Amino acid sequence: MNIQLISKRRFQTTLFYLAVILFLIVVLLPIYYIFLTAFAPSGKLFTVPLTYVPRSLATARFQDIFGALPIARYMLNSTLLATFSTILALTVSLLAAYAIARLNFPGANMVMIGLLASSMLPGTATVIPLFQMFQTLKLMDTLHGLLILYGSALLPITTWVLVSFLRQVPVEIEDAAKVDGASFFQLLWRIVLPVIRPGVATMFLINFIIGWNEFFTPLIFARGAGVKVITMALSEAQVIGARSEFDVSWGNMSAAAILTTIPVFIITLIFQRQIVEGITSGVFK
Amino acid sequence: MFGQQNLSTRRILLAWLLVTPVVLWRLLTSVYPFLRTFYISFFDNSPVRRTFDFVGLDNYMALTRDTNVDATLTFTLFFTVTSVALQVVLGLAIAELLNQRFKMRNFTRAVNLLPWAMAPIVIATAARWIFHQDYGLINDIIWRLSGERPLWLVNFTTARFAVTITDVWKNTAFLAVIFLSGLQGIPLELYEAAKIDGADGARSYWYITLPLLMPLIISMIIFTAIFRVLTFEIVYALTNGGPGTATSLLSYLVYLEGFRVLNFGYASAIAMLLFFIVLIVGVLGYGFLRRAWERL
Repeated sequence: MNIQLISKRRFQTTLFYLAVILFLIVVLLPIYYIFLTAFAPSGKLFTVPLTYVPRSLATARFQDIFGALPIARYMLNSTLLATFSTILALTVSLLAAYAIARLNFPGANMVMIGLLASSMLPGTATVIPLFQMFQTLKLMDTLHGLLILYGSALLPITTWVLVSFLRQVPVEIEDAAKVDGASFFQLLWRIVLPVIRPGVATMFLINFIIGWNEFFTPLIFARGAGVKVITMALSEAQVIGARSEFDVSWGNMSAAAILTTIPVFIITLIFQRQIVEGITSGVFK
Repeated sequence: MFGQQNLSTRRILLAWLLVTPVVLWRLLTSVYPFLRTFYISFFDNSPVRRTFDFVGLDNYMALTRDTNVDATLTFTLFFTVTSVALQVVLGLAIAELLNQRFKMRNFTRAVNLLPWAMAPIVIATAARWIFHQDYGLINDIIWRLSGERPLWLVNFTTARFAVTITDVWKNTAFLAVIFLSGLQGIPLELYEAAKIDGADGARSYWYITLPLLMPLIISMIIFTAIFRVLTFEIVYALTNGGPGTATSLLSYLVYLEGFRVLNFGYASAIAMLLFFIVLIVGVLGYGFLRRAWERL
């Protein structure tokens, strides 16, 4: 290999790593900046130029927002809604997916396409009648009312992905179980579920993140403090102790942003592989 | 004991029993409310004035005269085209980056997912601070490089770019993951054959990678475009549609008209306009997609 070729390759490698570093900075720096803002001691927040390496960190803002807002309650509500909407959606989607993938019934395709089409109906194009329905049925400001809406949003994609997972699994094991006289629910619980457990686990993670991050639905349907969720804490945190409309506490907002984000970051970093598989299986299969 | 006919009837019955919960749930919370929105759009319906009067096409006629709707459609077009173009180009580039073998590849792939995992409302609210004129991160960097401090959220054009940049930052990760998976599905032999024929990296990308990814790219353009039209949180928390109506989007307009002004009839007509645009994007996109598949 001649020297020119080696130096060309070295140049390309350098360029490549520069691109990687640039990418990491663009993604991580804004997150780091919010972290800095949340932990900056008061008085150190507004500096020109910015100090990127702080001398000291303070947790006062977290104490402030926990003191002024029912943050624990918000987080509990978010956890309950994300968990139970996920479990409910997975259960009914699994039933439907099994029927579509295995029972070969007339109308199976219609159900699949209908689900996809209904997921294209914008939330804003359904929200007004839902609001009126919820008022009539006394579902406003209730967790079970929110659960109905959170779950509904998850159904189309979850069903699609579970169908795709089921189609990749051979039918023979199920046939053997049928011959042995297993009842339908035994079959589903003991044979089908263990085989597609990775797919179910993946959809659990993704749906939990979607539920945790939900904002528009609670904005309209959860106005009482008892049912509010953590994504609503940001705008409330930034006006704690505000003297006017323009008096915004960026520090408190950042602290609330961190509390909202930490759970989804932990899930994402631990289950990176499964999440990527879930995202792509919704598109490709 | 059971005839063939009987067994298959039982199977079909069981199948419909199993899909009923999902179908019913979606019908009640999505299809019915949507049809109802269409119905309400022909009424003057306000919970404040306690009205529910049939007004025919009045709400739709009002749409054509509403300058807010004009401004919103203008920004919707700008936002959708700019954001989708940036996301597709950057998504392809990041996918290529993450597909190489290098140290820290797993770490970089994990970092890529972080914006995807964050709540849109968190990113939108935090972006207001990041675009802050005096103390924001972006202006600190620009100021160090050029000595300028642009007023991002006050000027028309820069506010539009601020919304677009925020959206691109959050959503490009998703496309990168999809494109990466597409890249991994291309057989390596194709590249080896091209190398023997003397093609360099850029050429084999242009003549092998891009054509093979094209159906995927087009379907992702449709998907991404539809979700740009539906965007709510970024505009709600970052700009409130402002300055003026420079960054207003239809979902935000439905929210304002429906839940601030409490004008359900008119808000429903805006929602139908939104649905109609989504439908057009979907149908046009589907046409392109079919042509791309045929060419492959």
